[in-house]
Amino acid sequence: MKILALNGSVRKYGNSEILLKQALMGAEAEGAEVEILKLADYNIGPCLGCGLCLFRENVCQQKDNTHEIFEKVDAADGVILGAPCYFLELTAVVKQLIDRCWIIGHNKIGKPEKPASVIVPYATRGWIPYVFTQANILFNVMCLTKINQAAICTQGISEVVLNQEGMDLADRMGREIVEAVRTKDFSYRGEKGICPACHDKLLRVMSDMETIECPTCGVRGKLSLVDGKIDVKFEEKAWKDARFRLDVSYNHYTYHIAPSKDYFLRTKDERKSKTQKYREYLAK
Amino acid sequence: MAKFLVKLRYYPGDPLEAIKVGDLEKIGKQYGMDISYEKIEKREMKNGMLMEDTMKGHIEDITQEVVTVAGDDEKSFTDSIRALYKKFRCPRTAYSLMGSNEAGRKISWALMETPGVGGWE
Repeated sequence: MKILALNGSVRKYGNSEILLKQALMGAEAEGAEVEILKLADYNIGPCLGCGLCLFRENVCQQKDNTHEIFEKVDAADGVILGAPCYFLELTAVVKQLIDRCWIIGHNKIGKPEKPASVIVPYATRGWIPYVFTQANILFNVMCLTKINQAAICTQGISEVVLNQEGMDLADRMGREIVEAVRTKDFSYRGEKGICPACHDKLLRVMSDMETIECPTCGVRGKLSLVDGKIDVKFEEKAWKDARFRLDVSYNHYTYHIAPSKDYFLRTKDERKSKTQKYREYLAK
Repeated sequence: MAKFLVKLRYYPGDPLEAIKVGDLEKIGKQYGMDISYEKIEKREMKNGMLMEDTMKGHIEDITQEVVTVAGDDEKSFTDSIRALYKKFRCPRTAYSLMGSNEAGRKISWALMETPGVGGWE
């Protein structure tokens, strides 16, 4: 059994690296083979939006290292993502990786489900509203099932070793990934969230001012006050629309993306004539 | 030829609820519009999932439900589109109004973009 840690921090020996290594020590103590991979050491180019992975050979044309990361995730039985929160969310390298996931996001059929967890060191309480969103997206496109998440308060470089509770939690999360792989129990073990799919607490208020939605999963429901407490109920039928369900993502690719090739080709002449002025405007 | 004509192309999973001819007839009657319905089904069951290769086909030929609305009165046409969006949500893609005339497309597109009307935002 192999557990892979993805480090989304650029700093060497930083809090993310320390927490991930502690988690891996826990996993290793439970008998797993472990590996840590620093995303910043890999050349992950920005997605060019060329569409070749979607419309042609089913491969990304960029000759960088992103495919090596995908191969390592494929080879692992469980994944732990660690990344710092600097500005309300995770670091850019995580988003960069997400944007490159088109190639695997529409090829999920037949991929095995694997457990994953995310650990986020952060400095100031109240500055972490979106920290789990990117992890949820990344896990979903990579066919990883989140079994736990943790935001661990710490500040300067390597200071997390002074937070024994945080270190213990990381160790436990490493061990439980191994347990999940062994038992095939991928149930969520973290703090209770609102969305039963991604376990996040973010909600989007729809324009009708009646409906709320989990912005990550796209599942809708209603919000009310019960005894002065916010109560969110997701409609049973809404689960069929959950964004990252296999059939829903398949439909998205098959009916919202693939047919756009036809539209693109059919509008070629019109686009060409209408875009000419933009090619010329401010051209160097 | 109607002054306003739109083809609303709903792809699998797009409508909020199942599109029933009876519901369309009711909306058509209420607003004095000609509303017709066409279902195109090309999916086949493979590995436990309904699947289809849509890469090489034409937008009009792949699996979809097409609701066509036609009429001459602008307000009634607009109201009928609003009613359809309220019940089913609006279609989702940039190409989901293909085959409409310009007057019908313009109104239907503007309503899609109106907060609280399209049903997606």
